[in-house]
Amino acid sequence: MNKLDDSAALPPTASRDIKTIVNAGLKRRHAAERRFRGYGLTAISLGLAFVVLMFANIIGKGYPAFWQTYIQVPVTFDPTVIDPDGRRDPKALENADYAALVRAGLRGLFPQVEGRRELRSLYGLISNNAPLTLRAQVLADPTLIGASQEIWLLASATVDTLIKGNIDRTLDESLRPVKDNELGWIDQLHASGKIQRKFNTILFSNGDSREPEQAGIRGALMGSFYTLLITLLLSFPIGVATAVYLEEFAPKNRWTDLIEVNINNLAAVPSIVFGLLGLAVFINFFGLPRSAPLVGGLVLSLMTLPVIIIAGRAALTSVPPSIREAALGMGASKLQMVGHHVLPLAMPGMLTGSIIGMARALGESAPLLMIGMVAFIVDVPRGITDPATVLPVQIYLWADLPERAFVERTSAAIMVLLGFMVLMNGLAIVLRKRFERRW
Amino acid sequence: MNTMTIEARVPLDGALNPNAREVPLSSTQITDYDHRQTVGKITVDNPKMLCREVNVYYSEKHALRQVSLDIGANEVIAFIGPSGCGKSTFLRCLNRMNDTIASCRITGQIQLDGDNIYDKNIDVVQLRARVGMVFQKPNPFPKSIYENVAYGPRIHGMVNGKAELDELVQASLERAGLIKEVEKRMDEPGTSLSGGQQQRLCIARAIAVNPEVILMDEPCSALDPIATAKIEELIDELRENYTLVIVTHSMQQAARVSQRTAYFHLGDLIEIGETDQIFTNPKHKLTEDYITGRFG
Amino acid sequence: MSISHDAHTVKQFDIQLANLRNLVLEMGGLVEDQIKNAVKSLDDEDLTLAREVISRDQIINGLQVKVDEDSITLIALRQPVGSDLRLIMSLSKAVTDLERIGDEAEKIARMTIKTYDAVSSPPSAKLLRDVKPMAKLAADMLHACLDALARLDVEMAVDVARGDDNLDQEFQSALRRLITYMMEDPRTIGHAINVLFIIKALERIGDHAKNIAEYIIYLVKGKDVRHVSMDVLEKDAMAAE
Repeated sequence: MNKLDDSAALPPTASRDIKTIVNAGLKRRHAAERRFRGYGLTAISLGLAFVVLMFANIIGKGYPAFWQTYIQVPVTFDPTVIDPDGRRDPKALENADYAALVRAGLRGLFPQVEGRRELRSLYGLISNNAPLTLRAQVLADPTLIGASQEIWLLASATVDTLIKGNIDRTLDESLRPVKDNELGWIDQLHASGKIQRKFNTILFSNGDSREPEQAGIRGALMGSFYTLLITLLLSFPIGVATAVYLEEFAPKNRWTDLIEVNINNLAAVPSIVFGLLGLAVFINFFGLPRSAPLVGGLVLSLMTLPVIIIAGRAALTSVPPSIREAALGMGASKLQMVGHHVLPLAMPGMLTGSIIGMARALGESAPLLMIGMVAFIVDVPRGITDPATVLPVQIYLWADLPERAFVERTSAAIMVLLGFMVLMNGLAIVLRKRFERRW
Repeated sequence: MNTMTIEARVPLDGALNPNAREVPLSSTQITDYDHRQTVGKITVDNPKMLCREVNVYYSEKHALRQVSLDIGANEVIAFIGPSGCGKSTFLRCLNRMNDTIASCRITGQIQLDGDNIYDKNIDVVQLRARVGMVFQKPNPFPKSIYENVAYGPRIHGMVNGKAELDELVQASLERAGLIKEVEKRMDEPGTSLSGGQQQRLCIARAIAVNPEVILMDEPCSALDPIATAKIEELIDELRENYTLVIVTHSMQQAARVSQRTAYFHLGDLIEIGETDQIFTNPKHKLTEDYITGRFG
Repeated sequence: MSISHDAHTVKQFDIQLANLRNLVLEMGGLVEDQIKNAVKSLDDEDLTLAREVISRDQIINGLQVKVDEDSITLIALRQPVGSDLRLIMSLSKAVTDLERIGDEAEKIARMTIKTYDAVSSPPSAKLLRDVKPMAKLAADMLHACLDALARLDVEMAVDVARGDDNLDQEFQSALRRLITYMMEDPRTIGHAINVLFIIKALERIGDHAKNIAEYIIYLVKGKDVRHVSMDVLEKDAMAAE
């Protein structure tokens, strides 16, 4: 009995030993923990630094694009030029030579300028869309004819770039896009307060253009809008229905397994392959118009569907089985169970998946290149079959152009695109919260 | 074994000899048993449900073997047994909840008022309206208390108009003994209630469709003793209007609420009988071992 | 029926049940001694032994209280069912009967003192003739009954129950004889009444032993055989498993 007791009791040193052993290792453990935390913090700060860098770069480059240089020119709406007949015929007004008015105004500002070359340089200060501006004003208000007004006209991209300080004045004249005489005029105008920077509404109201000061993203925005509309209308209902069917109704057999594997694989297919598919099927086989948001939307739907289906199935499986049992136990049919209980509970997850899929579609350019949405399109599309381009493709197009003003606009377009991404993700969060508030 | 002697003087100073008589450690026992044989009377005079030779297979696994028993009208019958004995499986056969499991196959007869519930022309929707179920974990819908109770009558089209539905919801909550606690908060989510209240809400939800039989799968396993007592009291009251089948891990609970008890073991129905007989004088050794805590 | 001898999952429960049963058997052993000694004191006219028997009854009373306490504790803490419940209830009832038997032994001892006190002359041997065989019968019954309890032996318990009839008959004939003596010689009435109390006590011991035997049958078979005829008792006790 005693012997047993002795062997059962711990030797008195044991407890002390374990203490010292643990203490010895403790330092090492804490150090490992600190190291790990250090790695994590480094990784996060590195990531954040890159994000900040990217945003700073883009915003720094793109911010000036939201401002545009205007030159105040005294314009006399000379009836002999605009309306020689004096009948105020709108047709005649439309076809009148407004450029002459602009030229006359500029000559009025700098009467000392002479010679064809000099004058052409002078006229070059104003964007070539100035006559259109004047025409629009006259057509809107014919009483202007005969009057004289100081009018702010859009400056050319070169002037704009110079004013924004992006042209090095110290360079040799032959290397500079702005010659010395132009520099003199501009400085003169600037000094007399006849040059101003205003908010760039053109960026948001115009389509693409060869002239940077007239190029806008409205065409691309509308193109993106129509494309995404098609994508959403097609992929969300089909995706949700597929997810529900596969998860809740489909028998589990080889065929559904095969379908499941294929859907998962589709999500990993490079997006350009969908572009090729769209080209082959929608355009070449079905004969749908090229460059149209309709085809773009179809292609992006194909790309987004797997994402929505996978997210939808994940959302459905996360609905607790007890809710299904409760509904079935009450005598609800399968469809009632899904419709009344499972789907509402899975909706936040499905919406999040869909919106993330849509955001991906919004940022996609590769497949759209294949179906011709890369064309240079000046007109703003007014429907899903009009030729159009989308924001990322527009960015891609502008990024190729050499003019300094396009570099700005590229960054501005990127900012707008990022803005929409953030907006969509925000929407996803808001929708999820809204639905989740219903317990 | 005859070492006990009267002459062995018992010392009087308190150091009593505890081994004056030897207590035998084992006696002759029937330890092996026939897998097909159920001990006890399986029939009742006025059966509500009739189960005969029910077998359940999950894929290749024979989960339930040749179970035959009657469930009497307006009685509470308890199914007890160790985990994995098939009692829940059998309970879920009674309203065909096992249909949702693809690999599950059922043979034999289960009748509700004389109709085989596995017959082709019996619709599960109608069956589950007649045989309600309350689950182990309180699972109110993530909707308001009112909506929870109103759901069943609504999907079955049992009521005309809001007034009638209001009345039915009121009555169901009252019968479930919950009305006083939720009267003022009908629009609050069912999940905001305490566990015991949630479970009574689930019972109210089940009785709102006025079923004939209510199945309860360990209804109190997630509840504290007070909430458990309330549910047990409720079960006793419900017996007046419904037939109740309850699966429970708590033998005390089975003893308290049921009139008849069935003991399942590894897929066999071992013994069935009046609850007081099962708990004072079980006939089968396995039953005895289980209820006295000698199992395993 | 079933009585399981497998161990409980909760080992402590097994230990407590075994302790309770041992305590009852221990008490049984003490009670047996008490009877033996009480009868011996009468036989040997040993007043010291008689007083010892009387004082020792306190130990038995103490044991009864202890067993009851333990039973209540077991019921409260373990909520026994089935054979465990029957065992505890049977033991708890058996100790009541054992305690009564102890009281009867004490009563015999008191009668011994009363009979052999200095004041009156000792009784004649014929008055005490029936005491010895009856005492043997009663002691044997108790002994067998405690054995049956130790082994959970139903057959033995049935034998004990049957034996009670013999003891009752013995008592009846002894009573008739005593009445005859008293009618023959009224001077013997004083002693005869003492002897009457003694044989009555022995007869009661038999009744208590029979009660215990009935508890054993209930414990093992789950059938309540109190207040039934011997035939029914035997049939129930021997019923197939």
